[in-house]
Amino acid sequence: MKKMKIAALAAGVAVAASAVAFAHGGATGIYKERMDAMMAMRKDVKSLATMMRGEIAFDAEAVRQAAATFKAHSGQTMTALFPEGTTEKPSEARPEIWQEWETFASLADQLHTYAEGLEKAADNGLAMSGTALGSMMNVKSMMMGSGANMMGTGSAMMGNTQAMMSAEELAGMPADGVFNMITKTCSSCHTKFRIEKK
Amino acid sequence: MKKLLLLAVAGLAFAGVAVVALQQWSIGKPVTLDIKLGDPNRGAYLARMAGCITCHTNTEAGDPPLAGGLALPTQFGTFYSPNLTTDRKTGMGDWTVKDFARAVRQGVSPAGEPYYPAFPYPFFTKLTDQDIADLWAAFKTVPAASVPSKTQDIKFPYSFRDGLKLWRAAFVDFTPFEPDPSKSELWNRGKYIVEGVAHCGACHTPRNLAGVRQIELRFTGADGLPEGGKSSPITTKALKENGWEINTLKYALKTGVQPDGDTFGGSMGEVVRDGTSFLGDDDLTAIATYLLEKDQ
Repeated sequence: MKKMKIAALAAGVAVAASAVAFAHGGATGIYKERMDAMMAMRKDVKSLATMMRGEIAFDAEAVRQAAATFKAHSGQTMTALFPEGTTEKPSEARPEIWQEWETFASLADQLHTYAEGLEKAADNGLAMSGTALGSMMNVKSMMMGSGANMMGTGSAMMGNTQAMMSAEELAGMPADGVFNMITKTCSSCHTKFRIEKK
Repeated sequence: MKKLLLLAVAGLAFAGVAVVALQQWSIGKPVTLDIKLGDPNRGAYLARMAGCITCHTNTEAGDPPLAGGLALPTQFGTFYSPNLTTDRKTGMGDWTVKDFARAVRQGVSPAGEPYYPAFPYPFFTKLTDQDIADLWAAFKTVPAASVPSKTQDIKFPYSFRDGLKLWRAAFVDFTPFEPDPSKSELWNRGKYIVEGVAHCGACHTPRNLAGVRQIELRFTGADGLPEGGKSSPITTKALKENGWEINTLKYALKTGVQPDGDTFGGSMGEVVRDGTSFLGDDDLTAIATYLLEKDQ
């Protein structure tokens, strides 16, 4: 009886463990590789975002490490994980990736450049604390919206069309500014090329 | 047989009468506006919040801002957003502020035609006179772009536009926004944004086969959005269960980054990029406060 209980318990643990392992729905091969890469970046975005919101103290070394993660998984390393037509479940990749390969590849490159920039900008610290960021942006967005500019600058502000900056140019920016450009790149790519779940 | 034929003829005649009646039915109320002068800066800010710029600009085609032409494929057919620039022929150059107020708050064109609710006027009914005046002041600054609006590509029977007069009479709540005096100013501001200007429920509340939002499923998330999109539940309960707090919600609306480090994709990615990332700290706080307290 006791043995049976232990066996049941062991089975339960095994099921629980595999549920964790297969959180991405049993992805294998290249699907698993790219999901792991995305998860690695997600983890670092999560901890940096906590820092940007002012919930934990700014740590330049942690920023550099996160930048290294983004660099390692972007550019050609990323595009190499998307061979044509790899859209089988549980993949969230949309077929548009291969119809608009150039856009996809340029977003992957952009991420790489911004990651290099973040690495260099890590020591610049934050431009402002979490709440100050909001009110500064407020003033900024009001001005963007102003009169004749209502649309002119507006369109230049739209994620996809932002001018590509070099890593050297980014090196002079506050770390949170560069981080925002990175997450905007993530979101632009997800908007176009990822299937959304509820 | 003769009887049947007679019945069919009678049926057709009745349908004909109904069609003519619908065509003759004049919709929309006279517009009263207390505010004469609008602030174009506030208006441009509201145009971000309301998604005017997002939906009426075909960024991918490189068209000028607000010249329309963006496709919205739905189960009813494909809608194309019209030109909202000051061009006199293809845009709103010849409109008056009252035409604009009626279009936005009542969903009726200057020619008296009902708009399809792909245009979220059922939410804009809540807009204050001041906000209408500000928006109009901002739209008057938009450079004219001569881009003819595309014809809506809607399936029968939805293509029978006068039928919308029934839809709107049956399903649209035209009462103005009423602040709840028992709640804080912040909460009320949040409600005005969420349920009015920013029309969150347009995507986060599921619709029935007639495209009517299902009130009992309010903010529970929806499938079958344009282009196969899905939206998450944003009831207070669901948000709390998913670990959202005021701070993280504000940050997500500003940057697109969620608490788990993932970033928004799909249409929410666009909403943040072209809309909520432009909002001020106070309004983001108001939105987050309302969403996290509304169902309590």
